[in-house]
Amino acid sequence: MPIETNKNGKVNPVRELRSTENSFVKHLKEFFEEITLLTKFTFRFFKEVIKPPYEFNEFVKQSYLIGYKSFPLVAITGLIMGLVLTIQSRPTLAQFGAESWLPAMVAVSIVREIGPVITALIFAGKVGSGIGAELASMKVTEQIDAMEVSGINPFKYLVVTRIVSATVMLPVLVSAANAISLYGAYIGVNLEGDVSFRLFFAQVFDKLSFTDVFPGIIKTFFFGFAVALISCYKGYNSNKGTEGVGKAANSAVVFGSLFIFILDMIAVQVTSLFSR
Amino acid sequence: MQKSTGNKMKLGIFVTISVTAFIAGIYLIGQRQQLFSNTFQISGIFKDISGLQIGNNVRFSGINVGIIDNIQQITDSTVKVDMLINDDSRKFIKKNAKAIIGSDGLMGNKLILIIPGAPGMPMLSNDDIIETTQPITMDDILFKIKVSSDNAANITDNLSAITQNIREGKGTIGKLFMDTVLAENVDQALISIKQGAGGFKQNMNAASNNILLRGFFKKKNKKNK
Repeated sequence: MPIETNKNGKVNPVRELRSTENSFVKHLKEFFEEITLLTKFTFRFFKEVIKPPYEFNEFVKQSYLIGYKSFPLVAITGLIMGLVLTIQSRPTLAQFGAESWLPAMVAVSIVREIGPVITALIFAGKVGSGIGAELASMKVTEQIDAMEVSGINPFKYLVVTRIVSATVMLPVLVSAANAISLYGAYIGVNLEGDVSFRLFFAQVFDKLSFTDVFPGIIKTFFFGFAVALISCYKGYNSNKGTEGVGKAANSAVVFGSLFIFILDMIAVQVTSLFSR
Repeated sequence: MQKSTGNKMKLGIFVTISVTAFIAGIYLIGQRQQLFSNTFQISGIFKDISGLQIGNNVRFSGINVGIIDNIQQITDSTVKVDMLINDDSRKFIKKNAKAIIGSDGLMGNKLILIIPGAPGMPMLSNDDIIETTQPITMDDILFKIKVSSDNAANITDNLSAITQNIREGKGTIGKLFMDTVLAENVDQALISIKQGAGGFKQNMNAASNNILLRGFFKKKNKKNK
């Protein structure tokens, strides 16, 4: 809305304030509308996921694209993550003469927090943007409408399969990333020390417990679900032509990453509640 | 079609390897927590468990042989700690073994140390209650340090008062150190003693040459030789 000026060309402060207020209210309205639409979209997913027919072949195809194709990126990130974390932690532990605690400390950090969160963020960047852009371009080129016309349920075929695949594949990717990260940590420990493979993993598994592993894996199901749900929502409801494709891909990554941190915060609270 | 089958195979291999890595991790953690090995349970009753938690290690001869399975408060001053011990270690732990709460290094977790019993005693059996020794806690050490430091403070206070008295010339030692009149008297007394001793020596020399006492002194010299 253009800001109105008086005869002298000066801005009227009352009108300016009213204009800012209107813009804020408009954004707030849009925000709540978005939440309502996302909630409806989530309910529709749960309705469609239990209703036959099941698109199993598409689910396997999406699992391959989402899981297997993301593995090299996740593996490299995991290896570097373990290596860097070990190298960075060493000087601090050396100050206390506690270098022998390095494998255990790095393992707990990776399995509990860094492995799941970093892998999920990489996943949101690669898979989230891919899903957002793909569905948005299908929407823009009216392929989704064409599917509807030809009797295929596009929501079930495109959205449900992607969300289920992402929900299942992210924990698998995190398990692989954790294992590779621990190997990276082993390399990191041996850059300046001399710890055998057996001793390293004995120290790692000595300090890890089920309360470290299970919450770390369980929360990744929610991360995968949230990333895919937001990406599908942004792509499926995209408009504004080709501009909307970029916007959908971008907001899928941004909101996906934000949701990972929010869910992680909730997961930490829930875990600490149960471990009391 | 062929490509689709290849992709399915790749996906299958990837999922299998990842899930195997996860299960292997779970198994290794479980093995360390005695979940997949034969165990027997023993218990110990402590007055204070000093922050011991379920899952902490039980150590015998420096080897982790089990974990804490359960902690239960029985009365206001007694806590029962159940331990799961690996069956392989059963033959080494005798009935008169003792349990004590220790810690893994200076900053490490709490653990239970089992002190071996005398040889010749029978092995522990399931659900046995073993003797315990109350550990020396950090609070006990701090309390003793406090008592020692209080005593040290009292001693230094007393020493300070004594040195103050000495400086002021009070008391025998104070007079000895600080009273100049006494020092002069002592000096005079010493001079007198010295003079007296000189006179006495002359008298004795005179006595030894005296005709009446000469025989006595000769006999005494012979005896000394």
